[in-house]
Amino acid sequence: MTLQLEVANLQKRFGGLVAVNDVNFSLQAGEIVGLLGPNGSGKTTVLNMISGALQADGGRVVFRGTELTRQKPHRIAQHGVARTFQLVRPLPTLTVAENVLVSFAFGRYRHWGREAEKLVEEKLEFVGLEGRGRERVGNLTYIDQKRMELARALASEPSLLLLDEWLAGLNPSELKTGIELVQHLQGAGITILLVEHIMEAVRALCTRCIVMNAGQIIASGPSAEVLQQKEVILAYLGDDHA
Amino acid sequence: MPTYASLALVAVAVSTLAAAPFYLSDYGVGLLIGMSGYVTLATAWALFSGPTRYVSLATVAFFGIGAYTVAVFSETLPYPLVLLLAAAIGGTVAAVVGLSTLRLAGVYFVIFTFGLAELVRQTVTWWEVNITGTLGRYIFLPFEGRHIYWQLLALLTVTMLIGWLIGRSRIGLALKAIGDDEAVAAHAGIDVTRTKLVLFVLSATIITLVGAIQAPRWTYIEPSIVFNPTVSFLTLIMALLGGPMRLWGPMVGAVPLFLLFEWLSANFPNHFSIFLGLLFILIVFVMPNGVLAKLEGIRKGAAQ
Ligand SMILES: Nc1ncnc2c1ncn2[C@@H]1O[C@H](COP(=O)(O)OP(=O)(O)O)[C@@H](O)[C@H]1O
Ligand SMILES: [Mg+2]
Repeated sequence: MTLQLEVANLQKRFGGLVAVNDVNFSLQAGEIVGLLGPNGSGKTTVLNMISGALQADGGRVVFRGTELTRQKPHRIAQHGVARTFQLVRPLPTLTVAENVLVSFAFGRYRHWGREAEKLVEEKLEFVGLEGRGRERVGNLTYIDQKRMELARALASEPSLLLLDEWLAGLNPSELKTGIELVQHLQGAGITILLVEHIMEAVRALCTRCIVMNAGQIIASGPSAEVLQQKEVILAYLGDDHA
Repeated sequence: MPTYASLALVAVAVSTLAAAPFYLSDYGVGLLIGMSGYVTLATAWALFSGPTRYVSLATVAFFGIGAYTVAVFSETLPYPLVLLLAAAIGGTVAAVVGLSTLRLAGVYFVIFTFGLAELVRQTVTWWEVNITGTLGRYIFLPFEGRHIYWQLLALLTVTMLIGWLIGRSRIGLALKAIGDDEAVAAHAGIDVTRTKLVLFVLSATIITLVGAIQAPRWTYIEPSIVFNPTVSFLTLIMALLGGPMRLWGPMVGAVPLFLLFEWLSANFPNHFSIFLGLLFILIVFVMPNGVLAKLEGIRKGAAQ
């Protein structure tokens, strides 16, 4: 196993609130690891610090031997870390194809021209948006916007993908397709850190889980074990269910 | 795709425009100078402000820098060198300003650029009064109106060409992405700061050159003439009217507005700014995306 990502003593404060407090974990190449925890526990903030959207107040992020801490987001993307956003963020004046093209043009291997157009078409097909490239993103349904955002993240050709509740809001059949898509990505050798609330997805996809509460990691290990631990159930569901 | 037909069309249009002074009176040539000047200003302004939506009111700062560079150096340096120097000074000021302000969001950027124009004007005034001991300067260059016009026409052609190339290039896509969502653009791998800076400097350099080329037209200049904030507002409103997101938009807005303003300032010199204000409001309310977008919308609506 090769080490892909190492997060050490990560810390983030917002005013008086410690949103992320001394978080440590590492990802091996090709793993899908779940990052769980109730709302406000600091999951998105962790992703934001890995992807460079936020500066950490303390700690380090090392990706394939390269220090990412304090690097700018575009550098981190070019190193091979891509992300989606908890609330979809399409680029509204661009077409669906152009949204994806942006990542091919400026991502890890910088494609342009005919070649890039072909790659965009392939990615759209992969996420189930074949032939929709010329549409305005505003015309897409919420689900299709999520597909588009996945295609855009993949178009920077990452080896680490950060998915922030990407499966949220899907109906059961869409969820099944979504889970299969993520499994395909793993098959293609992409390491995935998956922030997710849907337990069905977590069980199907994640070999390991990390559980956060109030900015701290309260449990981590193989999914089956972690999801049965008492404090995890407590953090999620409150006292009644423990 | 550039077909040979459209290339030929452009060539014919440019040569027709270039031949125009031979058939026009001095007054007509004067109009052409003003018009091509504003079309170039609006097009250059929109190169940066259109896609990024950073509304700059610094236009006249660079315009004035260009004019003043010519006024100061035209007697000691050969003219082409003066133009190069003007471009270099304008570009450098833009780089310094851009590095410190392109992080400002929205309205702060607008206010800053407006302040910058005033700051440059006050600095030049102070320098002229206290250091050189003059306020105005004379420019003696052996140019006739048509020489100035041809230079502006050349600059405009180059500016349009640059705009066209940007629209087809990676950097054009980057600018549009930045205008939509800077954070998403950055996570896709775009160096947001550098992209904005490059375009801001490019746009400002062209604007500086417009000021430099037009300067000999005045013969006598002083800060209140070449740093007049109306230039910034007119440029902005022209680009907005035509639509700053399209290559031809600023031209479509600048030509009629320039003629309108010429007529207004000749006939109602005291009420000019009232008309300007009303027009501003009208454009923002009726077609915030410009005439071209409006026409496209109407065409689409009719097709459906
Ligand atoms: N930009 C911000 N400014 C201030 N507080 C923030 C910011 N982002 C997140 N927070 C706070 O940090 C805590 C963790 O938020 P977040 O990481 O979004 O949680 P999660 O993704 O686990 O739901 C929350 O209390 C949230 O309100
Ligand atoms: Mg979150």
